[in-house]
Amino acid sequence: MDGIGRVRIAVDIGGTFTDIALLTDTGLIHQSKISSTPADPSMAVVEGVAQLLAELSIDPAVVAEVLHGTTVGSNTILQRKGARTGLITTHGFRDVLEIGRIRMPDMFDLTWDKPAPLVPRRHRFEVNERMAADGSVVEPLSEATVIAAGEALAAQDIEAVAVVFINAYRNPAHELEAAAILRAHFPKLLVTTSCAVLPEMKEYERTSTTVVNAYLLATMRAYLQRLQEGLLGVGIKAPILVMTSNGGMLAADVTCEKPVMVVASGPAGGVVGAARLGLARDDRDVIVFDMGGTTAKAVIIEDGRPTMTSEYEFRDGISTSSRFVKAGGYMLKVPAIDIAEVGAGGGSLAAIDRGGLLVVGPESAGAMPGPACYGLGNDRPTVTDANVMLGFINPNSLAGGKLAIDRSRSEAAIRNHVGGPLDLPSADAAHGIRAVANAAMARAVRAVTIERGRDPRDLTLMAFGGNGGVHAPDLARQLGIPRVVVPPMSGVFSALGMLASDVEHTGLATVGRRIDVMTADDLRVIKDKLQAQIAAQLARDGYGAERTAFLWEADLRHEGQATELTVPFEGEDFAKIRERFVAEYLKTYGYQDHTPIELMKVRVAGRGLRDNRLDFRGMKIAPRRGAPGAGTRQISFARGEPARTVDVVARSAINSKPRSGPLIIEEFDATIVVPPDARVHKDAIGCIVLEFAP
Amino acid sequence: MKVDPITFAVIKSGLDSIADDMAYTVVRIARSEIVKDVMDFSAALCAGDGHMVAQAKTIAQHLGAIPEAMASVMDKFEGNLHEGDVVIMNDPYHGGMHLPDIFMFVPIFHGGARRAFAVVICHHTDVGGRVPGSNASDSTEIYQEGLRIPPLKLYDRGVLDKTLEALIRINVRVPDRVWGDLSAQFAAAQVGKRGLEKLIQRYGADEVDAYMQELLDYAERMTRAEIKHWPKGTYRFVDHIDDDGFSDQPIPIKVAITVNDDGTLFVDYTGSSPQVRGALNSTLSFTHSLTYLSVRCVLAKDLPNNVGLFRCIKVKAPEASVLNPVMPGPCAARALTGYRVFDTMLGALAQIVPDRVPAAGEGGNSVICISGLRPNRQPFIIVDMICGAWGGRPDKDGVEAITNASQNLSNMPVEVMEAEHPVRIEDYSFVQDSCGAGRHRGGVGIRRSYRILADEALLQMRTDRVRFAPYGLAGGAPGAQSRNFMEVGNERTALPGKITTRIGKDTLIIHEQAGAGGFGDPLERDPSQVVEDVLDGKITAAYASERHGVVLDSSRELDVAATARLRASRSGISEGARHGG
Repeated sequence: MDGIGRVRIAVDIGGTFTDIALLTDTGLIHQSKISSTPADPSMAVVEGVAQLLAELSIDPAVVAEVLHGTTVGSNTILQRKGARTGLITTHGFRDVLEIGRIRMPDMFDLTWDKPAPLVPRRHRFEVNERMAADGSVVEPLSEATVIAAGEALAAQDIEAVAVVFINAYRNPAHELEAAAILRAHFPKLLVTTSCAVLPEMKEYERTSTTVVNAYLLATMRAYLQRLQEGLLGVGIKAPILVMTSNGGMLAADVTCEKPVMVVASGPAGGVVGAARLGLARDDRDVIVFDMGGTTAKAVIIEDGRPTMTSEYEFRDGISTSSRFVKAGGYMLKVPAIDIAEVGAGGGSLAAIDRGGLLVVGPESAGAMPGPACYGLGNDRPTVTDANVMLGFINPNSLAGGKLAIDRSRSEAAIRNHVGGPLDLPSADAAHGIRAVANAAMARAVRAVTIERGRDPRDLTLMAFGGNGGVHAPDLARQLGIPRVVVPPMSGVFSALGMLASDVEHTGLATVGRRIDVMTADDLRVIKDKLQAQIAAQLARDGYGAERTAFLWEADLRHEGQATELTVPFEGEDFAKIRERFVAEYLKTYGYQDHTPIELMKVRVAGRGLRDNRLDFRGMKIAPRRGAPGAGTRQISFARGEPARTVDVVARSAINSKPRSGPLIIEEFDATIVVPPDARVHKDAIGCIVLEFAP
Repeated sequence: MKVDPITFAVIKSGLDSIADDMAYTVVRIARSEIVKDVMDFSAALCAGDGHMVAQAKTIAQHLGAIPEAMASVMDKFEGNLHEGDVVIMNDPYHGGMHLPDIFMFVPIFHGGARRAFAVVICHHTDVGGRVPGSNASDSTEIYQEGLRIPPLKLYDRGVLDKTLEALIRINVRVPDRVWGDLSAQFAAAQVGKRGLEKLIQRYGADEVDAYMQELLDYAERMTRAEIKHWPKGTYRFVDHIDDDGFSDQPIPIKVAITVNDDGTLFVDYTGSSPQVRGALNSTLSFTHSLTYLSVRCVLAKDLPNNVGLFRCIKVKAPEASVLNPVMPGPCAARALTGYRVFDTMLGALAQIVPDRVPAAGEGGNSVICISGLRPNRQPFIIVDMICGAWGGRPDKDGVEAITNASQNLSNMPVEVMEAEHPVRIEDYSFVQDSCGAGRHRGGVGIRRSYRILADEALLQMRTDRVRFAPYGLAGGAPGAQSRNFMEVGNERTALPGKITTRIGKDTLIIHEQAGAGGFGDPLERDPSQVVEDVLDGKITAAYASERHGVVLDSSRELDVAATARLRASRSGISEGARHGG
C-alpha cells in the first residue's frame, strides 16, 4: 500500500448520478460514477466509494479526507421538505419575514407573486423583550412568553425554531436566554439564534437567513450523520469536508450548525475546478456550463475568479442572483458563487402542453426511473432519449458499459408522446426536443452574459457534466461563442474540481470605527483574536501553524454610507490601508471623497496549505476499463438534413493537430459532439477544444 | 441598418445593465436612508440627442419624467455642453417633479461628439424651505418648499462651481447628507459613462447609436402592435384623493382613454380637479410619467422602457389643474396625486383589458416624516415611506407588503432607523381584516408605530385613502381605509390623514395603511382559502362569515354544511346589495 499513501476523495451528488474522484499522493486520479439514491443520497456515496476503493485495492484507512458537494440543502428548499419550522420574534415583529424588503424583481409586472414564506404566519410567535439600538435593555425578556410560544409551537408539531430579536446583532443576550429556555423546556426542538448565524444589522436579512438555517438543520444533520456512519461502516475514518456555496470547504460538524452556508454547495466544485483549469490553460475569462441530469447551470469566470455575491435569493426556476433586485426568493445573506440555473438537463421530460406547444422540463425523470432508454419504468421521452435516438449518444450503453440502454425505447417514447401528437416524423420530433432544451439552457448562459452586458462572443465556453459536450456546441453556435473547451473527466468534473480547492475558513469582526481614531494596536487586537479563532478551526482539520496562510481584507466606507469597499491589507498600518481605499474608491466611483473613513469589518481567510492539491498542469488520469471503441454512426445534425456517416473515436484519438468535424468523441461517461462546421484538437492539459469559424 | 439579432440583444441588455450598475452605485455610497434603504432614486441612459433609451429597475414613476427635464436642459445648454460638465436641476417649473428630487445630467462624449447622457435622480432628505424634509403637503407656494434649482452646471469642464455648492449647502438642513447623495449621483454617472465607453469600444460609437435609435423604434412598434388588438372606443373612470389637508374637499381625478385605430391612445384628464392650495399639484411631466407607466403595466413584460413607448400615447391635462399646475403652485407631495392617476388609469384600463388589471392597491406609499434635534443639538430627519398592498387580480389574490407597482420602493430596516435616529419602532405588521374581500382578495394593509425618543419632534404625515377606500373590481369589496392614531400615556386619539404637528417625548404615532380591494364576488371565494387566512390571523372568523359566508367549527376547520347554508342564505342579499350599490 505504500505506493498509494494518503488518498483524497471528492464526491459530488447530482440529481441523477453520484460522481467520485480519487486522488493519490502520486497525483494519479481515478474516477467512478453511480446512480444517485435520492431517498438517502448517502447510500450512493458510501457504496460508490467502497466499490472504487475495492477496485483499486486501497485500504480505506489511508483515506485522508472526503470532500463533498451536496444538493441536500437546495433540494430540501426546492421540494419544501425541510423541518416544520417556527419563528419567535420580538413583540410587534411577527411579520418581518413575510414583509421582506417590499421591492419587486421587475417593474411594471402586475402578475408577480411573492414567494410564500418558509414559516407561515400561524407558526410565527412574539415574545416580550426589547433591546435598544445601542444594545441596552429596554424591556427584559419575559420567560413566560417564551414558554408560551414554545408550547404553541409544540402544539403545532414544530420541529425547528428560529429565534430572531430586534437589535440582537448589538446584544445577543435575550436571544441566548430565550434559546436556553426553549432548550430546557422543549428538548426536542432544534433552536437556531440569529446571533449565531448572521450577527449583522438589518432584521429582514438576518431573519430570512436564520429561518433557512433552522429549516435545513434537521435534514442536514441527519444526512451528514448517515454519511459519516456509512463511511465508518466501510472503514473510512477520514473527516468529511463540505463544499460551501462560495467554493470553500467547511468541516462537517460546522455544517451541521450552519447548513445555510452550503445551500449552493452542489455546483461549486465544478466552478472552482473550471477557474483553476482556466488559469492552467491561460483562459481567464470563461463561461462555465454545467449540464447535469436535472438542471443546467452557467457561471462567469472573470480574470480567473468566479463572480461572487455576498447575498442571494434562492428560488425556483431560473435563479439569477441580482446584486440589485430584491424579493425574487428566499434571501440568504451568505457568500456564494453567482450562478444562473435552469430546469433543463439530460433527464428533463419532453411533453406537449395544453396549447399544443412542445415543452421540455423542468419535470425530470431523474435517476430513477431515468430516461425511457433505461427501460426502468419511464416511457416518456427525455432530452437524453432524443440524443440517443439521433445517434449523438451511444445507443447501446452509458457510463462505460455499466448501464445498458435500448434505443428502440427512446424512439417509441418520442413517437408516442411527441412525434405522434404533433404529426411529425420521430427524427424531427427528436430534433425539436433538442432545440427546446437548447433554448432553455441558452437562457442560463444569457442570464450571466448578455443580460449583464457581457458579450458571450468574447468568451470561452467550458462545458462539463455528462451531457455538456453534447449540447455546448449548439449553445456556442446559438450565441456566437467561438470556442468550446471540454475538460478531462468532464463527466465527473464537479468532483474533480473539489480536489483542486483549498480548505478555507473565513472569519469576520465587526468594527464600525473611524480609522483616524484607531491605532495599530487596536487593529492588532482584532486581528489576533480572529486569527486564533480561524487557526483553531484549521488545526481541527489537521493543518498546524506551519501549514496555514492568512489573507486579510478590510471593509471600509466613508461615514454614513450603506456599503463598503473591500481592500486587501497586510500588517497594521492605517496609512497604507487608507491609501489603498482612497485609490480603490477613486477607481470605482470616479471622485475623491474627503469625509472621514470608517473601518466597518475586518475579514480573514485562513487557508490550509495542502501538499497534494490537484494541479491541472501535472494531472495524470488513470486509464479505465470499459472505454468505448471506435466505429461509425449515422447522424443527422439538423432537422431535415440527411443522415451522414460520422466517425466515433475515443478521446485518445484526438491530438494537438486540429481535425475537422463531424466527429463523435466518446469517453467513459461523457460524449463530445463535434459538428460539421467545427474543428477540434486537444490542448497540453488534455482538454478537448472545439473551434468554430467566425 | 441591418440589425444583427445578437448584437441588438447584447446592446439592449447592456444598456439596461449599465443603468442597473449606476443604480447599484447610488445604493452603495449614498448617505441618506431614503436613498440607500428606501431606494427613492432612479438612473437612466439617454442617447446623445437626449432620448431616454434605458432605465434601471428603480422608481417607475420617474420613467416618463426625463424627457421634459432633458428638454429643459437642452433648452438652456444645447451647443454649450462639454466633456466634464455636470448639470443639476430640481425645479418643477423647469421639467422637475418636486424640489427634493434633484436631477443630474452628465453628457458622455466619444471622439469629440456627444454620444449619450447619464441621468441620475435622487430624492434628497432635505432641500430647505419651511419644513424639514421639504416634503410637506400643507405648503401653499413653491417658494415655501425649498431651494429651487433651474438647470445649472455644478461642474463646468470638470471644475466644481464652488458658488453653487456653497449656495446649496447653506440652504439645506443636512448639508453633508445632501452633498453625500449628490456625490453618489455623480459617482453613478461616472459608472454609466465608463460602461457606455466599454460598449462603444466593443461595437463602435455609430453602431451603438444606431442600435439606440432602433431600440426606440422597436419599443414603438411593439407597443402599437399590442394596442391595435384592444377594443376601440373611449373608456372613463374617476377616483379621488381625500383632500389637500386645508379643506375637506375631495380632489377628483377623471380620465377618458380613447383607443385609436392606429395603435395609439389619447388620454384626456379634462374634468379633474383644478389646481389645489396644498402641495398635491402634479406637474405635467409627472402626469405624463404616470400615464405612460400605467399603460406600460398592462403591456407585454419584455418591452423596453424608453421613449418609443411614449410616442404612442398622447396626454391632455387642462392648464391650472391639479395635473398641470401653474406658478407658484406647490408640488412637494405630488407623488400622492401620481398614485391616484395610476389608480384612475387602471380603473379605465380594466374596462379595456379586464384580464390584466387588479383591483386598487393601497393608494400609494404613506410618508411619515419625523424631525427634531438630538441631545447634542444636531438635527435629525426621518423620511419614512410605508408600502403597501396590491388588489385582488383576475386570476389570483393580491399581494401584501409590496411596493406600489408605480414605484419600486424598499423599506427602511427597523434596525437601521433605530441606529441612526432617536425613535423606536414598536410594531411593523399586518392589519387584520383590512383586505378587500373578493373571489381573489386584496392584500392586507401594514401598520407601523413610532415611539419618539427625542425631547420634542415635528411630525408630518401624508397619508390618504382615509375616506376613499381602494376600489374593488368585478364585484369585489373595497379595501379597509387608512387610520392614524397618537398615544400619549394610555390615551389614544385619532389623527387625520394629513397633519403637521409638534409632539413630545414618548409619544407613540401609529399608522395603519389601507388594505387593497378585492376582485370578484367574495361569496365565490374558495372556502379553504378563507380558512387558511383565518388560521394565519390575516382575517378573523367573524370576517370569514360576514364577508365570505364561510363558517369554521370549534376545531377551526371548515364547517362545510354551515358554510353551504350561510352562503345560500346570503347569495340573494349579496346580489341585491350589489344591484343596489
